[in-house]
Amino acid sequence: MTQLDFTRRAFLQSVSAAALAAGGLGVAGAQAAEPLKIWTIGVAKVGDKPGTGGKDWSDMEKAAGTALTYNAKSGSADQAIQKMVVGDGNKLYDAITDNGGGMEDALGSQKTIVPIDTGRITNWGNLLDHYAEGSFAADTIRYDGKVYSVPYISNADSLAYNRTKIGGDLGSWEALFDPQFRGRAAMQNDFGPTFTNTAIYLKESGKQDIEAPSNMTPKEVEGVAKFLIDLKMKGQFRTFWDGFQNGVDLLASEEVLVSSCWEPVQIVAARKAGQDIAYGTMKEGHQTWNNVWMLTKGGKDRGQEEAFYKLMNVYLSPWFGARTLLTFGFAPQMKGVLDYINGSSDFDAAAKATIATRLKNKQARYDIKGNSWQNVFPRDMRSYQDWWAKVQAA
Amino acid sequence: MAGSDWRDRYGTEGGGPRPASLGVMARVFSEDGLGKWALYAPTVFVILFFIVPTALTVVWSFFERTMFWMEPGFTLFSYVNFFTSARFENFLFSMLHSSVSVVVSFVVGFPIAVFVRRHVPTVAQHRVILLFILPFMVSEIIRTFMLRPVLGRNGLVNTFLTDLGVISEPITQILFTPTGVIIGEVLSFLPFIVFSGFLAMEAVPKYIFEVCQDLGASRWRTFWDIIVPLAAPGIFAGSVFIFVNGIGVALIPSILGGPGAVNAGLIATQAIIALDIPLAMAVSAIMMVTLFGLLAIGHRLFNLTKILEPQA
Repeated sequence: MTQLDFTRRAFLQSVSAAALAAGGLGVAGAQAAEPLKIWTIGVAKVGDKPGTGGKDWSDMEKAAGTALTYNAKSGSADQAIQKMVVGDGNKLYDAITDNGGGMEDALGSQKTIVPIDTGRITNWGNLLDHYAEGSFAADTIRYDGKVYSVPYISNADSLAYNRTKIGGDLGSWEALFDPQFRGRAAMQNDFGPTFTNTAIYLKESGKQDIEAPSNMTPKEVEGVAKFLIDLKMKGQFRTFWDGFQNGVDLLASEEVLVSSCWEPVQIVAARKAGQDIAYGTMKEGHQTWNNVWMLTKGGKDRGQEEAFYKLMNVYLSPWFGARTLLTFGFAPQMKGVLDYINGSSDFDAAAKATIATRLKNKQARYDIKGNSWQNVFPRDMRSYQDWWAKVQAA
Repeated sequence: MAGSDWRDRYGTEGGGPRPASLGVMARVFSEDGLGKWALYAPTVFVILFFIVPTALTVVWSFFERTMFWMEPGFTLFSYVNFFTSARFENFLFSMLHSSVSVVVSFVVGFPIAVFVRRHVPTVAQHRVILLFILPFMVSEIIRTFMLRPVLGRNGLVNTFLTDLGVISEPITQILFTPTGVIIGEVLSFLPFIVFSGFLAMEAVPKYIFEVCQDLGASRWRTFWDIIVPLAAPGIFAGSVFIFVNGIGVALIPSILGGPGAVNAGLIATQAIIALDIPLAMAVSAIMMVTLFGLLAIGHRLFNLTKILEPQA
């Protein structure tokens, strides 16, 4: 029996016992239903104790009031798409998370996920205003005008820098390409974020005409790639990082002083190195993204809607938002987080200060005009691939 | 063994009692029982786990790419795309780096095999060779990642040399360069050349060393003119293992290579991430052709079946 099985069974037993004690046999029968089978990433959960990711999914189960069967999912979009569109994802999973950048459109168009009845999610009213119809992030949870997903984390990815060594703050992507950091800079080994961040810089600094940094034409991709090739040949980049731990290690070991990376990478690197490694606000803009939950067609057919909506209620509660922000640095998707932590005895003064600072910094990043929403399926994907190979070969 | 032999041995026709359990075994493994089919097991295994996947890889490499998958058709687009883009350049570079890794592994690893064969008592030889399995008990990702704090800017090597006063600035030309990748490959794959070298050395009688010594041959001449040719099949087999892993294992260039360091495995992985399945299949097919080509050349030159022949 795995730890997860143990926890789930213990949880089911306790819930059933409580239901029987209340004389509600009907409730007990409902709890005896199959657990909600979720396919997601490890950082989609938090622990009840603030600042922890939780040992397993038991705290999330308790908060949702429904049993869960967790299936680990990698962070790559290709795996999710293939599993759901041409694989057996619908047989295996009731609810899944995406990998950002328009996956709900892809899965919605293939009818592997189903529209969501937002009226059944009590906390839907907590959702941030920018997801309302007509707002800038409205399309990121909708397909064909209907809501197909529930956002649970988001961010505006930026530049991490070693403030201890640099001795000041950085507020422009210019630093990443500056000769003073030659050989001490890193970017992600992924053409999506690396091309997009570079394109945002080139566009906003007036160095290249680019219409949409997340959806460039072949000519625009070529310009961005050539810019990176030139810098790479001059030795600007120490490496292109792959994977969370790799990104952390580069910053923590001082191999690099500036790195475009995810915020959790910066948080863990700062903790590991014991140095002041900061996450800046870039004046040109950032690649913004969200991750969402979706209900699979198979999940709906198996009668798992109720369990799904219970879980979504947790993801739109400040309980989750405050914890994911403190633990991983992801932006909460609901209003009321500050009110919640101020009224909660679970958070000490340091945690409250950290949450408040991160919220403020995130808002500053979200307010930048040049931000560009992540797009994992750019129109000219082939150009992205081919030019990325050239960057690698240079 | 003929079925009648079983009957003779266990007395089905020769009279006298026979153990019931042996009778059952005899029936099960007789020519009419499982024994008949057991002979086909390796064939079925090879068909299921080698020929079918290989054939599908080649067929799919000619399919048309769609948004999320691929559809049947015949197009050379993936191959044209591979050979006319920077991917081919990357592939050639990874072959070059793997070749260097093979040479370094041979220089370091084969003398170990020779030493064990020549100087370690026969009863202990296999145990000594087994010691080389120990590193494999640790996950490859950990073994590779552990080189970072050793070779890095503030790593053990630089700290040690700085403390000794040998260098004043950290050496940064090792990690995140092709040198780092080659070091990682040698440390990861060295046991292949030690194992196969040792297997090949078992074919070299010990008296050969004494004969060479009696005839006044230098150590170098003994090694190069006698040992290496005799052990060539094993050396080649180990070299192919290292070479193929060098171009195929994506982990090492990812962790130790410089910006954009790739090999064929990583090129295929990146194609899959971009949902370009036919391209990933084409890269895999090209890797397989490379492997089969090498094996064909090796077999022609050295008769690779020799390393599996029992030694007297």
